Amino acid sequence: MKRQSLAYFFTLSALLLALSAQAHEPKEHMNEAPDCAAMKDMDHSKMDMKDPVMQAIMQRCMKAMHLDAEDSHEADAENGNHENKTDAKKPTNHQH
Amino acid sequence: MTSFKLLSCVKCLAVAAGVAVVAGVGFIYSGYYPMGADEPHNDLTHWALETLRERSIARASNDILVPTDLNSSERLLAGGADYNDMCAACHLKPGVTQSDFTLGLYPEPANLSQIETLKNDAERLARQRFWIIKHGIKASGMPAWGPGHDDERIWSMVAFLQRLPELSPQQYQILTARSVDDAGHH
Repeated sequence: MKRQSLAYFFTLSALLLALSAQAHEPKEHMNEAPDCAAMKDMDHSKMDMKDPVMQAIMQRCMKAMHLDAEDSHEADAENGNHENKTDAKKPTNHQH
Repeated sequence: MTSFKLLSCVKCLAVAAGVAVVAGVGFIYSGYYPMGADEPHNDLTHWALETLRERSIARASNDILVPTDLNSSERLLAGGADYNDMCAACHLKPGVTQSDFTLGLYPEPANLSQIETLKNDAERLARQRFWIIKHGIKASGMPAWGPGHDDERIWSMVAFLQRLPELSPQQYQILTARSVDDAGHH
């Protein structure tokens, strides 16, 4: 009887643990980037832009591309600043 | 004479029903019914459970109002990500034909990436899918997602299910990937 109760206890604990691992909020889920590169191989002439599926794909990929572009701009800007800073730190060879 | 015959017939039926009930209860308590998920039900039990499930879902979902914007890109994006996180392991996705869950669960979960929606039954199917996602199905492995997810979120999953059989693996990946906004990063 005790063994059975223990079995129930462990099963219930495992179940509660599994349930607690289930995410209910979107922000709790893993973020997997959309693979928009695959879109380049598709035949765009056959795509119906009025189709909600295509609209959703475009929406998602435009957002992803926009964010990528922002990131690369930020990275460029940071590199630029970094270069400027290092330039500023460099002693000038031409002293007049 | 006729009434005597009728009385004896009623008695006979009552005795037969009593014996059937006692035999049924005895069988339940005997422990002889195989409960392993790797051994299918017999035809009678299978029919009884399937019919019970289908009729119950049809009746319970009959009055549900289907939103008019199910075929919108916003619904597809919202529902796709949730489907991938909560359903794809059992109900599969384009390019995948089986998983540990489809091999081991009984009854085997439906492959929702292959089922074609009948145009005439689309609304009835949407109502039933909404009800199933919200309330789950007893003793089938299908959980009730209602307690943790609001109706709008469930309708978005229903919207995604309507288009799922048409998606290629590449389209599926893009639609089900969570956007940065969804993931809470700004």
